[in-house]
Order: sequence, then structure tokens, then C-alpha cells
Amino acid sequence: MSLIRWAFPRASGLFPSVSVAATRRVRRWARNRQGIDPDHIQLTARRTYILPTGVGLIYALTSLAMLLGSMNYNNNLSFLLTFLLIGLGFVAMHQCQRNIVGLVVSFAGVEPVFSGQAAQFRIAVTNHSKNPRYRIRLYLDSAVSDIHDLEPGESRVFVIPLATDKRGWVQLERFGIRTLFPFELFRSWAWLHMNIRGLVYPKPLDEVPEPPATQMALGHRQHDARGEEDFAELRRFVVGDSPRNVAWKAYARSGQLLSKRFAGADTSSQWFDFNAVESTDVEDRLSTLARWIVDADRTSKDYGLKMPGKDIAPSHGEAHRHHCLEALALFGLENDDG
Amino acid sequence: MAKPRGTDGSLLSSLPWTIASLAMALMPHVLFMPLWITTAFLGCAIWRYSIERRRAALPSTWFRAFLALICFLGVLAVYETISGVGPGSALLAIMASLKLLETRKRRDQFVLLFIAIFLVMSALLREQYLWSLPYLVVGMVFIMTAWIRMSAEPSESVRRSFATGGRMMLYAAPLAVAMWVFFPRISTPFWAVPIDTSSGTSGLSDTMSPGDISSLSLSNAVAFRVRFDGDVPEPRERYWRGLVLHQFNGRTWSGSEPNIGRRASAQIEITGEPIKYQVTMEPTRQQWIYALDIPYRWTLDQTFMGRQQELARVVPIDQRIAYEVESYTQHRTEINLNSFAYDWYLAVPQGSNPRATEIAQQMRQEAGSDGEFIDALLAKFHNEEFYYTLEPPPLGSNPVDRFMFESRRGFCEHYASAFAVMMRAAGIPSRVVLGYQGGELNPLGDYMIVRQSDAHAWNEVWFEGRGWIRIDPTAAVAPERIELGVAESLFDGIGMEWGLAAPSMLLHQMQLSLDALNAKWNDWVLGYGPDKQNEFMRLLGMEDPSWRKMLLTLVTIVIALILLVSAILALRYRPPPRDRAAVLYQRFVDKTGLEPGIGESPDAYANRVSADCEIAVDTIHDITGSYLEARYGKVDPAALQRLEAQVAAII
Repeated sequence: MSLIRWAFPRASGLFPSVSVAATRRVRRWARNRQGIDPDHIQLTARRTYILPTGVGLIYALTSLAMLLGSMNYNNNLSFLLTFLLIGLGFVAMHQCQRNIVGLVVSFAGVEPVFSGQAAQFRIAVTNHSKNPRYRIRLYLDSAVSDIHDLEPGESRVFVIPLATDKRGWVQLERFGIRTLFPFELFRSWAWLHMNIRGLVYPKPLDEVPEPPATQMALGHRQHDARGEEDFAELRRFVVGDSPRNVAWKAYARSGQLLSKRFAGADTSSQWFDFNAVESTDVEDRLSTLARWIVDADRTSKDYGLKMPGKDIAPSHGEAHRHHCLEALALFGLENDDG
Repeated sequence: MAKPRGTDGSLLSSLPWTIASLAMALMPHVLFMPLWITTAFLGCAIWRYSIERRRAALPSTWFRAFLALICFLGVLAVYETISGVGPGSALLAIMASLKLLETRKRRDQFVLLFIAIFLVMSALLREQYLWSLPYLVVGMVFIMTAWIRMSAEPSESVRRSFATGGRMMLYAAPLAVAMWVFFPRISTPFWAVPIDTSSGTSGLSDTMSPGDISSLSLSNAVAFRVRFDGDVPEPRERYWRGLVLHQFNGRTWSGSEPNIGRRASAQIEITGEPIKYQVTMEPTRQQWIYALDIPYRWTLDQTFMGRQQELARVVPIDQRIAYEVESYTQHRTEINLNSFAYDWYLAVPQGSNPRATEIAQQMRQEAGSDGEFIDALLAKFHNEEFYYTLEPPPLGSNPVDRFMFESRRGFCEHYASAFAVMMRAAGIPSRVVLGYQGGELNPLGDYMIVRQSDAHAWNEVWFEGRGWIRIDPTAAVAPERIELGVAESLFDGIGMEWGLAAPSMLLHQMQLSLDALNAKWNDWVLGYGPDKQNEFMRLLGMEDPSWRKMLLTLVTIVIALILLVSAILALRYRPPPRDRAAVLYQRFVDKTGLEPGIGESPDAYANRVSADCEIAVDTIHDITGSYLEARYGKVDPAALQRLEAQVAAII
């Protein structure tokens, strides 16, 4: 799913600070009024707001000018045209609000990211009604999702990118769902305050020393050490196996992904120790460890992590990598979190 | 980036519609604009579309600025002004053309669509015919469809955009009609309406020079329509008085500027029953108001009777107006003519038309009295070889002499002019009246149509003690002109074959039905002004209509309609009703007090709750079984009934 990112048109004008303060106040009011939402919610008319857009204001002024013109010329057909425009404005207002009322919004997960990357919050929006919903978009202050139409019964995942700058939890405190349909004269939106958060790993440092050699031999041996290059067996590929060890020739023949196992390969696991990192800064240490883990994950070697008060036994694979990085991400934060 | 410079690459779905709405809006203007503007628009539209197709670059800013300057100067050169409907719509067309060339983003099309709306509005300000209503509606559907496509997904089908736009129009239409009916109309404009001289109207000219124009065109255009309260007057009484000409320079008759004298109607003594009627007059851009000879009371504001018993309005008739008149066919007018005026009505230039002057004086001497002289002159027109024709030869100088003794062919103006000159030569005060004579009854609408081709000129002569008397010399030459009307009197002369006459009769019937429709349209749509509105409000039961009451009604009805639209939309967008089985099962779940986990099957849930729930295990499994059958099994009302009973039993 591609993302288009640009700045959300801010409520600015002659007094940007005033309007920003006003916006903040209105949002606080909305939040207090609505409370925290569950992860799965149907939008009601009560929480759907609507205001005219810039084009809508021009449209209103145009209609007013045309009304004055019609009165002046006493021209009944231009009266009719004017009233048709005004009527369309009213209809557009209701249509705009109805376009999002009744949609079901639910949280569909967020992948952990490294600090500095944008956390991609996935929000599923479902249209249970018999009419299509047009031009739906989710947004934050700083970013917007793609725009999509929702056919009757269709459910679609929208992605909201949220920039991160430090490890730990990134909280999506509020996001909005909005539409400009049908004529972009009105913007109808709802604010959602779901208690959803994503995990942010520490950013891996680019330049790190090699892991201390003393760590090397401490691991458990999982296999017999019978020589590094001796081929031992083929076994079914599991996630986490190094692509280097995949038996590509066998794959070409059978279509089955198999991993080569080498008897005596140096599968001796490696331990990364928080206290062994040569740095005084905690974040630096975590970032160094993150780099080591990411690099080690690309090899076939098992690795373990020693954190103060917590050891993670050497292993390999996606889940293990996450387990380790999560420990780094939440180091020192767990207690705060309760 | 693969996108061409300056566009956001997705205009192809909406641009054709925007161009189509502009073209649609422009259509009624084409006849009123110089051809180069239409050409410029079409050129720019095709150019812009091909740019979009080829994904080429837009023309440079300098080129566009140059083009804009040229076009603006062009409009200025043609119209010499930029205010008014004509130059205004020309400028709008130019703006649309040039804006097309700089439309990069989808949102730029907003401006084009606003221009399209303004073009529709200015077309309506210029002309309001029957077809203007479909033009308005279709134009708006086009504009709204383009509007929707502008922001829709590029892959959206035209049919869907069209349906959405059309549905919005359908919802808005009752709102528009309600506002149209109840919005209080005012009669006086806020500011002076610029008079658009670009569209000519046919009316009577202020002067009359028989012999200068050698043919009279039979314009079928409607001058005014009349609805009589009582009986319709006989054809020979259908003299619609307009302006009076009293000055003759030997060649041309002219009147004076509308001369407002409030005492003018005091010069009229009336007897008999009045004829009451309502006139709906097409705009003439002149001040004359037409009424049956002779008007005594009228309801039009700012309208007065001039010194020569002509009705004139202080402001020119720029819009179709309706007024009620009471006329009296039996009247004595201006019995006392002062000597100044007496001389005025006898004045002829010295030495002009000598032969006519001479024969008039000779005839007067031969006749015993003024009355006998008039009869003799009319008899001369009737008995001698005078012809009524719409294409007489040109007459040159001394036109009355040449008409009386050489050509002897002419239409009403020739006879009226000759008659008045000869009356004056014989010492009888006389003048020429311009107006309309006749009128065709439209049985379909029960009203009378008076056309431009019914324009007529006749005379009035003044007698001591009797005042002005109407005399129509044309009637002496061609009585059928008066009895049948100009068109039929001529057809008769040509001697139309039956085979040709029959289809033309059918055509005429169709014209009459169309005109009846037009009259209704004028009366109820275009003519819905303060008076009609008050009348309609009373019809609806509003006592003593005022703008406050109307606005209040308007707001009430509009709010009610908006609520209705809102309710319809809510109904259309409502979530589907929950499955009855699911509702019943939810009741059972509520009763157990345990929430099903996400992804937990009803069977698994049943096993789980069986352990710690006071409901009997069998019941739990029965309910679960019935629920699964009712919800996921074949359509079976029995399963649902069973579930209903089982759930009811535990509650």
C-alpha cells in the first residue's frame, strides 16, 4: 500500500498561534466528550463533525451574490438557478456527513519499527451499508492515508504513518477519518481516540565495534562440531533460516524449500551483554546491541541477549529477533508502563 | 517522475466533463457573441484535451498572458464596455478558454465549473424562454457530474458519477422550488440594471415615413397578450392605442417625447360599459404602453397619460410587464381644443405635396360639410384603384402626392399619412395614431395574441363639440385587413391553394398551442412577481401576505425538507438489520455473563460456559445447536422458532 505524505493543511491564517491553540482546545473538548474508544467502533452521527471547506465558503458567497443579482434583475429563472445551488449545498452537507456515519473502524495492528522510521498504524474501515462510501481518508495532524472508496460490504485497511524519534511505545492518541464527498464543499470528520500503540526498537547504530570476542565461546552447542563445511542433512526450511543455506538446486527440482544443515558448522551461539558494551550512555548501548542483533540475525548464528535482570537464551528467527529487540526497546520503561 | 510537468496526471477522467459543461453553458451565448470567441473556446478546449491525451506540457506563462491580453482587447473592441450581460458573458467565455490552458491540477477545475455556473446565469438573464428551464436543469446536471468526477477516483464509471449528480439534483429540486415559491419578491431593483442593447427587439418606431421603406416584414413575434375579463371586443374595435404623431415635415411624421400630464385623463368623458382586460407586454425598450382605445384606468405604476391620450411609462419597458386596464369604446375626448393646439393639428409644411393639398381643398368645397368630405375621401380610397400591399414602391419627395396620384399602393402608413395631410389641407385638425390593430384569439389559452405584424397606423380627426374621432382609411381600402388581420387578408389575395393551406393550418395550430404554453410560462414562471406571489399566497390560505410571513414559511418548509432528505439518506445508509438469530444468541450470551473470545466458535464457547454457568448444560448445547442451524444452516423458520423458544425459556 503506497503512502502519500504531505502536511495536513493547518488551521493557519492571520493568527496561527491563536488558531492552533483553538484547534488544540477543540480537540481536548472532543476527547473529553467522547472518552477513550474501544478498538472496534461504529461511527455515530453524534461524533461526526462537519464544517464548510474553503471552496464551500466561496460557493456560499457565490450563491449569495447570485441571489442579490436575481433580486435586482427580478429574474425568476436565475432565482431558480440560485435556489438550486443553495439546495445542492444543503443536500451536500447531509450527504457528506452520511458518507462516514455508520462506518465501522477497527484497529488492525502495527508492525514494530526502529526509531526514526514511521510506525505504520493499520486501521480497518468497513462499510456495512448497502451504499458505497466515497473518498474516505484517515489522517493525523502530520500525515494522511490514501483516499479510497468503500463499496457496500467492503472492508479496507488504511495505513497511517506516525513518525517516531525514540524507542519504547509510540502511542496513536488520536486519528481522524474524514471525507469531502460529494462536492468538496464540506469536510465531515470524526476523531477517534483508541488506546493503541506500537513498539519502537532502538535505532541501530551505524558504526559499532565488533561484538567482544570474549562472548564468542560461551554459547551452547546445538549440534556436533564435526567440521564446519561438512554437509549433514537437508531439512524443511523454517522462517529464520539463512537464505545462504537454502538448497536452491533442490528447490528448482522439487519446488520445496529446504535448508542445508552443516554438521560441525560453527553454530556456537553468541551472547550480547548489555554490560559489556563500551559506552556510558544507556541509549548508546541499546543502539549498539540493536545493531549487533540485526546483523547477527542476517547470519545463521544463534545469539542470546543479556540484559540487567533478564536473559534471553540464544536462538534464531523472526520471533527471537523481535523478542530481543523488544527487550531493548522497553529497557527501563517496563515499570513505568506498569 | 513519470508524470508530465505541471499536471497531476489524473485529469483525463474529469476534464472532458468540465469542457462539456462549459460548452453546454456556452451554447445559448453563441448567437450573441462574435464568432471568434466561440472559435477561441473550441480551440482552447481541443488543445487542452489533446495536451492531456499526449501528456504534453502546457503553453508557457508568457504565451498565455499574451493570449489573455489579445482576447481582452478583442472583447473591448467589440463591445466598447465590459459591463452588462453581453460583454460579461463574452469575458466569461474568454476566461474559461484561457483558464483551461492553465488547468494543471484537478482542483483548478473548480474555477472552470464556477465559470460554467456564471455562464448559465448570464444566459438566463439574457433570455427566458420555455427552453431555458431544460437548459438550466441539464446544464446543472452536467456541471454537478463534472464536479463529482473532479474529486472521484479516476476509475469511477461515468454512469455512477452521473447517477450521484442526478440524485443530488433530485434531492435539491424540492428545496429549490420551495424557496422559489416563498422567497419574497420585491418590485424595485437595488441598482440600475444595465440595458443590454445587443439583443434587438421589434417594436413600433417613434416616427413614420411612408415611402422610405418599401417593404414591411411580417414579424410573427408577439407584441403583447391580452386576457379579457368579459366578452372579447369585435375585431373592428380592436384598436390598441400606442403613440400619437402630430408633426409632419412633408415626408416624416413624428411625435413628441412622452409628455406626462396628469390632467390628461380629465379630458376624457366616458359612457357605456368598460372593457376590462389584462395585458402582458413583451419588452420594447420604449416607454409606450398599449391599451385598447381608449384607456381610462390602469394598474401599472409610474405610468401616465400624455397630452395626446397616449400611455407612457416613466422608465422604458426592459422586462415583460403585466398590467390591467379598463377601456371605454364610447368616449368623447378633448372637446375643448385650445387655439394653440388647434393650429398645431393643422400644420403642414408650406408647399409640400401641392397636388394632394389642392385636391383636398377642392373636395372639401364640393362636399357640404367636414363629415361629408371625410366620407368622400374614404369613398375615393374605396372606389378608385387603390391597393393594399406590404411591398409598395418607394415614393421619394412629396410622398403624399406621389402616393395619391401615381403609385396608389401602400399599407396602413401610406393611407394614414395621406389622409391626415389631406384633412389638414382642408382645415380639419388631424393626427396619426400608431399602435396595433386586431389580435388573434388563442382558443387553447383563452387569450388574445397581438403580434408585431398587427402594427397599424390610423387617424384621428377633431370635430367641434365632439372631440377626437377615430378614422381608419386603411379599412376603406382593405376592410378585410381590419376584420381578418393582416396575414389572412394577404393570404386571401395571393389565393392560396387548398393543398398548401391545409398543412399551414396545422402548423398554425401547433404554433397556437406553443404560444398558449408560452403564455402560461410567462404568466406563472417569468411573471411570478410581487403581485402574483401575493395572489398565490392567498390561494394557499395565507392571510395578508407579508415578506415576514413568507420568509417564515420558507424557513419552515426548507427545514422540513432538509429533515426529509436527511431521513432518506439515513435510511439509504443504514446498516443492515442484525440477524434475528444473532440477536437471540446475544441474549443468551448476556444471560451467561461470559464474553465469547475473539475467534472462539460457538461450540467452544458452549463447552467453556458449561463449566461455570448456572444454565443447564443441555440447554446451552440446545441453544448453540439451534443458533448454528438458524444462522448458518439452510433457511429454516423452524430452527429460528426453536431458538426463540429456548432463549425465552432461560430468560
